[in-house]
Amino acid sequence: MQNTLEKSKGTSQSLWVRFLKNHGSILFFAVLFLLSSLFVPNFFTPRNVMTVIKQAAVPLVACMGLMLILTTGGIDLSLGYTLGLCSVLLGMMTKRYGIAAWQAIPLTLLIGAAVGLVNGSIVQFLHVPAFIATLGSGYVLYGIAQIFGKGDAFYQLPEDLLAFGTSRPLMIFAGGVPEEAMKNGLIGQILKLPSYVFIALIVAAIMYVVRHKTTYGRNLSVFGFNAKTARLSGVRTARLNVATYVISSTLVALASVLLTIRVNCAQSNLGGSNYTFEIVTAAVVGGTSLAGGVSSVVNCLFGVLVTKTLENIVNLMAVNIYLYQPLMGVVILIAIVLDAWKNRKL
Amino acid sequence: MRLSKRQSSIVTAAAVIAVFLIGGAFVPNFLKPANFLNVIRQCSIIAICAVGVTQVIVIQGIDLSVGGNVTFCGMLAGLLLGRGVPVPAAILCALVCGVVIGLISGSLYAYLEVPAFVATLVVGQITQGLAYLFNNGRSFGGFPKSYVFLGNGSFLGIPISDYIMIVFVAAGIFVTTMLPIGTRIYGLGGNEQVLKNVGIDTAKIKLFVFAASGFCAASAGVLLAAQLDTAHPTQGEPYQLDAIAACIIGGVSMSGGEGKVIMSMVGALIIGSIRNILNLLAVHSFYQNILVGVIIIAVVAVSMFSRLRSESKTAQFTVVENGGGR
Amino acid sequence: MAEKPILEMRGITKYIFDSYGVAIRNSTVRILDKVDFDLNRGEVHILVGENGAGKSTLMKVLGGLIPPDEGEVLLDGKVIRPKNAKEALEAGIGFIHQELNLCGNLSVSDNIFMGREIVRRGVKDKSAMRAKSAQLLDEMGVTNIPPETLVKDLSTAQQQIVEIAKVLSYDCRIIIMDEPTSSLTQREIDILFALIDKLRAQGVSIIYISHRLEEFERVGDRLSVLRDGQSIGTLERRDFDVDTIVAMMVGRTLGAMYENRHVPGHEPVLEVRNLRLEEKTAPISMHINAGEIVGMGGLVGAGRTELAKSVFGYRKCFGGEVFYQGRQLKTLNPADLIRHGIVYLTEDRKSEGLVLDMDVAQNISLASLFRMFPRFFMFGGKERELAEKTVSQLNVVCNSLSQLVRTLSGGNQQKIILGKCLATNPRLLILDEPTRGIDVGAKAEIYRMIDQIAESGVAVMMISSDMPELIGMSDRIYVMRGGAIVAEIQDKADMTQENILAYTIGKNA
Repeated sequence: MQNTLEKSKGTSQSLWVRFLKNHGSILFFAVLFLLSSLFVPNFFTPRNVMTVIKQAAVPLVACMGLMLILTTGGIDLSLGYTLGLCSVLLGMMTKRYGIAAWQAIPLTLLIGAAVGLVNGSIVQFLHVPAFIATLGSGYVLYGIAQIFGKGDAFYQLPEDLLAFGTSRPLMIFAGGVPEEAMKNGLIGQILKLPSYVFIALIVAAIMYVVRHKTTYGRNLSVFGFNAKTARLSGVRTARLNVATYVISSTLVALASVLLTIRVNCAQSNLGGSNYTFEIVTAAVVGGTSLAGGVSSVVNCLFGVLVTKTLENIVNLMAVNIYLYQPLMGVVILIAIVLDAWKNRKL
Repeated sequence: MRLSKRQSSIVTAAAVIAVFLIGGAFVPNFLKPANFLNVIRQCSIIAICAVGVTQVIVIQGIDLSVGGNVTFCGMLAGLLLGRGVPVPAAILCALVCGVVIGLISGSLYAYLEVPAFVATLVVGQITQGLAYLFNNGRSFGGFPKSYVFLGNGSFLGIPISDYIMIVFVAAGIFVTTMLPIGTRIYGLGGNEQVLKNVGIDTAKIKLFVFAASGFCAASAGVLLAAQLDTAHPTQGEPYQLDAIAACIIGGVSMSGGEGKVIMSMVGALIIGSIRNILNLLAVHSFYQNILVGVIIIAVVAVSMFSRLRSESKTAQFTVVENGGGR
Repeated sequence: MAEKPILEMRGITKYIFDSYGVAIRNSTVRILDKVDFDLNRGEVHILVGENGAGKSTLMKVLGGLIPPDEGEVLLDGKVIRPKNAKEALEAGIGFIHQELNLCGNLSVSDNIFMGREIVRRGVKDKSAMRAKSAQLLDEMGVTNIPPETLVKDLSTAQQQIVEIAKVLSYDCRIIIMDEPTSSLTQREIDILFALIDKLRAQGVSIIYISHRLEEFERVGDRLSVLRDGQSIGTLERRDFDVDTIVAMMVGRTLGAMYENRHVPGHEPVLEVRNLRLEEKTAPISMHINAGEIVGMGGLVGAGRTELAKSVFGYRKCFGGEVFYQGRQLKTLNPADLIRHGIVYLTEDRKSEGLVLDMDVAQNISLASLFRMFPRFFMFGGKERELAEKTVSQLNVVCNSLSQLVRTLSGGNQQKIILGKCLATNPRLLILDEPTRGIDVGAKAEIYRMIDQIAESGVAVMMISSDMPELIGMSDRIYVMRGGAIVAEIQDKADMTQENILAYTIGKNA
């Protein structure tokens, strides 16, 4: 047993196996992409591929946040409701009170941060297990969102707000591109990508640095693996834990802004528990350990792509749209089982 | 320790009385017989779920699949009834499915060591999703009279639902206090190593507990569909939080090993009454959700705090008796 | 007595093992080295030895918790190989651990019959179980424990009695008691001893592990001494003599491992005044000078680790003041103290010292990230440089810097923790059992490192249960007992194993 242990964790392992173990979601995505390109009609077209990317952008932002919390060994079950609350408040601010977007968006992010502060404090200082704390706070947030929104939705949001997410920054390069390519070609589709995709990519890039290239990111892993060692090694664990919830919920608020813009509708029912679950699935498929300590931005990116590709396939094949949710459940189940298998047997 | 336990039961009992007094004093219709029967009928669903959830929390788990399971089994019963399956067969089928669902999350928890909240969250989402598939997101309705009677009929003036609830609570009490497995469940929540040392297979106990919780949720789902005479793919959702809240209010400790089925039923009564009072006062369900969420966090925080305090109080050293100066 | 012994253990050998009970590869460290032990019917056989002498391991072998690498256990002349606690119990060997092995939330009778509940017509027969429990307790002469009481409502002594009752209910003829009196009051001890006498009269054999010399004559029939994993000898009751026993327990001579070159300084780095570990324990006052190695002697559980953790701000303490470099530390928390230059090397390396699932470089830099990367970002090769430096300096054997720490041997893990602590540039280094469970070669290297650290002017507080190490390394020794300091030994000449042991077990307290 000792022998196999040394072997599996040591350097004697082939690069291949290690790559697969560390980046399973990339392989998962590659296989999925290949198979759907071959067998699903209309999947492998520039337009559709860009659709998948556009659909993946917003969940990616939220997933970056949840990834951080999962790394501490906690979870945020209130994620979807935070998203709904931020959406409805953003809608109110811009639509009902006419606040300009450049003020409303930072305010929304602040609200997200406040939610995170409350969640984190409950977990850290009141010692309530994260899943119970966020399960409870999720209901509270949902209630608050509904009170504010009175169940209504705000449609046709102001132009300045929409511009934040839907402008097409790459169009300045569109000069010499022929019209035909512009319409259907890959180049045209890329040039036409809206700004929220780029915002998501920028967030992912920043989070990559934060997660993998800062002392915060490192301490996050240490804390997730072993909170006692972390504290005895001089990590300010309480601050770290609360800060993580704050950062995460701020990112969720950003995701909320982007989603609200994307669907051009602000309402409290945006998000919800299904959304939470989708993000958890993406993170887990992206190799994030539910026991804490292990997570990677790149893997999470592919985790999100896997979930969104699956959703896209369900759409394209015109099977029952309700198949999506159980399918997600099965996917996460497979990811969990594979993870357990990997940790014990491989 | 013992005193504090008695105190907590007293507090819970006082809470029931307080809720009823306040309800009776300020809410015009609360104590009218018709409304009262309505309250306890609604409470029966929460209580039946809570019987199972209590056991899961006692072994230091949590069941987040209750909502999905209630919905799924209600929808399944609805689907089968719609296809003309006889009532008993449809019910049986739904209950078996509930047990299987519990077994799935139980195996994830017991054998793959997936944290309980994740295992049950996943299973809950799958069942919830499948419930949408049954009728493309629409509901089933128009059930046979005998089925609806289960939910809405009454015998000797008391709703059938409450007889069923009493059967479940009694069964829960019987299993936990009269059967060997009951002792083992509580022992598992107290100190798993002790059980392992005498050669008990604790994974099997975990499976049993999750299966039991699945069975309870399934029964609640079947009963709920009968009460409403519809099965809708969202109707189970509120019971997720309510069932956990009922247990926690009833004094089931999140750190395991403690909690009584009967007290969880009392907790269910409290939650159900609060909801009813708020309904009568025309308080919107928005506020109700907020209140239930706050109650859950507050009660867990208080119990965690008192536990930590009592732990820090136990001294680690025996004082050197003959004075240990330099 | 010409009677054949009921239990014989012959040539038990156990190599050092990891937490799974699996031998570390190629390990030559023997925790048990051809140990022989026997037990007669109806006798109380005392097992003594210093911490780490192998008593617990020997008993774990007997109790089925770990398998021996060599040797055999004979019960009534037949070889037995219990694979787990249950098989040992069924063979008639009951183990009463130091820590509670009962479910506090269940009643006494439920605990006694856990796993073998009496069932009548499918239902738990509570009254029968209670009656039987009461009968069991009655036979033991205990009348003040109603079988329906919850275990957590009982006193520690009563809980121990319940454990004994549970073991007896399996018809055990051999009971292992691991320091049963360590947390009992004198009155409770008397009750326990009366019970032991009764059991002995009934023909039950008891293996009694203890550190308390004063008890031996009261309870024991024979006494065996273990030292460094070897059996040293067995005494009959008439030969029980404190000096003889202590002499048997020590014996190991100081080797050439300790070549101290450091010279203790005179200005105090740490000063503790009137700190209490619990509300009722005696106040602790102590100091450590720059460049000085101060040893902390005492038994496991004497409060040494608790003192270290209190000073390091990881544990609550009751009153008292801590001065560091002349200034009083107001609020204690590990993060601030590490930044001030105090660092604590934990006793439990796996759960408090390392992150097993991270690699060598990451573990070494664990506590000094704030110093290396004050600006938050971790770009550049500083971490690798530090790791390379530490690995070569401390002679850590690993395949690469990205090898997971989990896969290293104990000695190398310990060196990595030491490296982690040193990377913070400490001025006060608190070491808690720095050489536990590692082989001799690694020990010598660690001693050399500690000496070098002290030579550079760092104050070192070293908690150790290894007597030769304590004496060999320390400039001064405090001995702790029952959560308080009971002696300060300043003179090198007074640092004898006999002397320290005497304070440790309270002979001249």
